[in-house]
Amino acid sequence: MLELLQNSVEALNNSHPIIQFCAYLSLLFIVIIITLLVYLKNLRDRLRIKGRIEATYKKKYESELIEYLYADDDKDSRLQQQKIVDYFKKNAENRLKRKLIIATFLKLKNEISGETSDAIQNLYYQTGLINSATSKLKSKKWDAVARAIRELTLFEIKEAHDEIILLINHPKKEVRNEIQKYLVKLFRFDGLKFLDILENPLSEWDQIQLLEILNKFNNLEVPDMNNWMRSNNTSVLSFTLKLARIYNQFGVSDEIIALFNHPNVDIRIEAINVVTHLGIHEAVAILKEDYFTRSLEEQIAFFKMMEEMAMPDDIPFIREHIEHDNFFIRISVMKTLNLITVDDDNTFKVNTTATDFTIDKDFTIAS
Amino acid sequence: MNLSKKIVLADDNSILAKLLQFKLEKEGYQLLIATNGKEAVNLIEDNRPDMILTDIMMPFISGLEVISHVRNKLEMKTPIVVFSAAGQEEMVLSAFNLGATDFMSKPFSPNELIIRIKRLLQ
Repeated sequence: MLELLQNSVEALNNSHPIIQFCAYLSLLFIVIIITLLVYLKNLRDRLRIKGRIEATYKKKYESELIEYLYADDDKDSRLQQQKIVDYFKKNAENRLKRKLIIATFLKLKNEISGETSDAIQNLYYQTGLINSATSKLKSKKWDAVARAIRELTLFEIKEAHDEIILLINHPKKEVRNEIQKYLVKLFRFDGLKFLDILENPLSEWDQIQLLEILNKFNNLEVPDMNNWMRSNNTSVLSFTLKLARIYNQFGVSDEIIALFNHPNVDIRIEAINVVTHLGIHEAVAILKEDYFTRSLEEQIAFFKMMEEMAMPDDIPFIREHIEHDNFFIRISVMKTLNLITVDDDNTFKVNTTATDFTIDKDFTIAS
Repeated sequence: MNLSKKIVLADDNSILAKLLQFKLEKEGYQLLIATNGKEAVNLIEDNRPDMILTDIMMPFISGLEVISHVRNKLEMKTPIVVFSAAGQEEMVLSAFNLGATDFMSKPFSPNELIIRIKRLLQ
């Protein structure tokens, strides 16, 4: 065997340099592959062990939680409950175990309501898990902060409000998003007070998420939106306009009309759309006054508004635009005239001078 | 009297199953737990329970298929209570069309569930 190896090395040394290079390269690859295989096997074994440990602890924590929740109201049971609290508290010192305990609590809390859900929240306080989450709010790692806020949201910890609101202008949008959800889920419309101090943009997705959360709550008193309507943050204005539209806020009509002169064209258009939805008629005269100084998009939005709100007095103004260059304006003008001059026989006349459109036979064949 | 009453629970949430088992056994019912629809069908066929509690979303066989199997293949008139989550309104309607008796939206109160079970088993 040794002789064979010696002969092989000798043959390799005497061979062409290219063959030598290929042989060494192959040897290198074999070593890398073997190292990787050993590493992957080790990794798989470790993951399996971790999985087994997790399954064992999960089972144990589930049993302990059920025992805690359904202990009787006598002295022995209370002692047993305290033992369970201490057990969870001790286990929560370990990162993996803490993660498993929280997952176990949430797994049940998400499925049930009422006094059992409240008891789980109480256990969250008693085991000191709340302290671990609130201490993470000061972490330098943004993902740890975001996870802590999500945990506090799921356990409905209102006490963390003052600490969380301080992070509302956090540089990471993921953290800001978690904070916004925390505030609105737990404090509903009152939670929207963060709009007063929000400096970063509130993305369309964030706005949709917040509106969806608010949509789940019924019979809520909508807060005063005047401040938000005067915000320097364009996204806050956009969101407030959506709120005004969804919750039919006629009380802020003056503020919405004031937005017709906002520097951002999208806000001006959104304001016109909200006015249309709310049916604020005084807006028509205001927009008519400076109609010609407005952008084409605003003019289109204005005529869309006229479809809903035009009065007979507006007919001359509307008729002036019947041959407007823009198709959408022409359509809106015709729709509006058709609606408000329904009894007038001479509203539309057949245009006999119009070009006779005939089908081009060559074009038809070619196509 | 309740000891003879068997209830099959089909839900893949192990801790919720444990909690309901504790509660229902305290009330004198016998709870048989299935962690997926396939197990639920087997338990129902083997034990002929007095009531079935089933989640809609489950591995292998969904709650809707369990209801369909009970009503159409086994031709059982056992009361079936369906657990649904938010956003599953369409599925709840399908469950009723297939023959579900009642539904509870998650998160639900275990105490309310007990009351409904008692009422349905009267």
